[in-house]
Amino acid sequence: MKAARIGLYAFLLGAALFFSIPLLIVVMTSLKPMTEIRTGSIFALPLAPNFDAWVKAWMSACTGLACEGIRVGFWNSFRILVPSVALSVMAGALNGYALAQWKPPGANALLTALMLGAFIPYQVILYPMVKILSNIGLYNSLPGIIAVHIIFGLPVMTLIFRNFYAGLPDELLKAARVDGAGFWRIFFEIMLPLSINILIVAVILQVTGIWNDYLLGLIFAGRDNAPMTVQLNLIVNTSMGEQEHNVNMAATLLTALPPLLVYFASGRYFVRGITAGAVKG
Amino acid sequence: MSAVQVRGLRKSYGPLDVLRNIDLEVREGEFTVLLGPSGCGKSTLLSAIAGLDPVNAGRIEIGGVDVTDLDPSARGIAMVFQSYALYPTMTVRNNMTFGLRVKRLPKAEIDKRLTWAADMLQLTALLDRKPAQLSGGQRQRVAIGRALVQQSRVFLFDEPLSNLDAKLRAEMRVEIKRLHRELAPTVVYVTHDQIEAMTLATRIAVMRGGQIEQYATPDELYERPQTLFVAGFVGSPAMNFLPVVLRRNGGAVAAELGPVTIPLDAYAFATPPADGTQAIFGIRPEHAALSGAGVQVATETLFMEPMGADTLGWFQLGTEKLSARLAPQTARGISGPQRLALDIANASIFARDTEQRL
Repeated sequence: MKAARIGLYAFLLGAALFFSIPLLIVVMTSLKPMTEIRTGSIFALPLAPNFDAWVKAWMSACTGLACEGIRVGFWNSFRILVPSVALSVMAGALNGYALAQWKPPGANALLTALMLGAFIPYQVILYPMVKILSNIGLYNSLPGIIAVHIIFGLPVMTLIFRNFYAGLPDELLKAARVDGAGFWRIFFEIMLPLSINILIVAVILQVTGIWNDYLLGLIFAGRDNAPMTVQLNLIVNTSMGEQEHNVNMAATLLTALPPLLVYFASGRYFVRGITAGAVKG
Repeated sequence: MSAVQVRGLRKSYGPLDVLRNIDLEVREGEFTVLLGPSGCGKSTLLSAIAGLDPVNAGRIEIGGVDVTDLDPSARGIAMVFQSYALYPTMTVRNNMTFGLRVKRLPKAEIDKRLTWAADMLQLTALLDRKPAQLSGGQRQRVAIGRALVQQSRVFLFDEPLSNLDAKLRAEMRVEIKRLHRELAPTVVYVTHDQIEAMTLATRIAVMRGGQIEQYATPDELYERPQTLFVAGFVGSPAMNFLPVVLRRNGGAVAAELGPVTIPLDAYAFATPPADGTQAIFGIRPEHAALSGAGVQVATETLFMEPMGADTLGWFQLGTEKLSARLAPQTARGISGPQRLALDIANASIFARDTEQRL
């Protein structure tokens, strides 16, 4: 038994180390100057760790013609993220509440359509979407990319909230109706306060999903609003001059940092929300 | 004056008729219980009165006003649900005052009603708790309190006690009875528990298959059930049913159960039955005794079921089994052939085809 335990932990430790190798290399490389990268092994520890590459990646790395660093992309991503997450989560919650609790005629048909919508690959809808947005003048604009994120987020958000609200007893809504509360009042005063856990889950899903998005940002945002992922690609894939591996690695880490922080800060809620959803239906 | 009047109510879910032509009148201050097995439509009828489910046809009046198309909150009703349906994120105080705040009553009035209801239900110490911190009985009292503060004339209860354990249920039953005596509201109360129905109701509507079988006082329902279903559903231990053929001999009617003949001179027939009518002879266990007046029949002792206050004795009568409610002292040591005295005046006889009382 004891030996089995030791073996188990040895295996787990080995697996953890193996999977953290890429991250370690990225972190170590970002802390080295270029001279050290050129001469040493990629596994060598940095001799004099410093954040020069991080500063350059943030402040002055070249993304195409402009050399203002990845911070431009950071703020673009932020401006895309906040309204997209807020609106898609709220709309999903409202949809889910209306579908599950008020059961309007055709609710099940709509739900089936949403399920299908959630599984349609992006690529199929890209071109029609471009046409539609350019026809209404939203193509290559901030409202345009926000609208796209909301639309693509709606099916999954609606399903998550619908399943949560379908798990609540019907009598809750009936009691509130007898008390005289209407659609909106019941939503804001009774249903939404009950939904904290599922709201956190939905926000995490949307924050990571939208922050990590590359394809939609590349196509719909336009050059002025290009999110951080698109700018990261411009830095890393530049074909002019020497490849600054340390700057590339630092830019990558900067881009990956916000979703990582979200996970670390809310992992507890994430697990709780998922299990709560699972138990309640 | 009638507080609730239902006329010609119909409700169906697709091809399934849940309510078929329901007529029901509840008088001011009356405690009407809708009683029936699950799926009989009693909760659907209550939902229709509350306005939570639209109906297909018919008319509902509350306090003389046609409310058929009104929202639940405009009907002047308050409702208590089986699962209590308390708002989980609100304190007891906010649960009870939510409806009043929605109606924008003045704060002083809200406080007055809250204090009054909390006092009446001994909830004052619990006002700042959340529902999750309350026991089942306390939650149910909060749910009742939430209805009380509305000070409606009509209260609707949808199986309010069925989630409670037996002891608590008995306590809450007394509590509800006390509230009805003190406040005298009109109540429509749904249950499948006949004890609850018998103890609480001023009138009981027994429902089956979307129709009301009989609407009468508990005594009337128990003593003169109008249909075979009501006779079998109400009363515990259940009424004995014996398949008989009615024979007329001049003015006298007798029931033939195989070789046994039971004279029915003491029974008040609504209309004298024809000779050879196929019928069900129903007699409650307490109307069969080991001694005393009544029609004597020869039986063979089968076994005894002690139930505490009484013992239910089972006897073979011809080809059928018959139960009699006996005093435990009498029941001890009974065996072999016994003569049972049947109280025919208190029996119930139903036609076998229509299941209606004869």
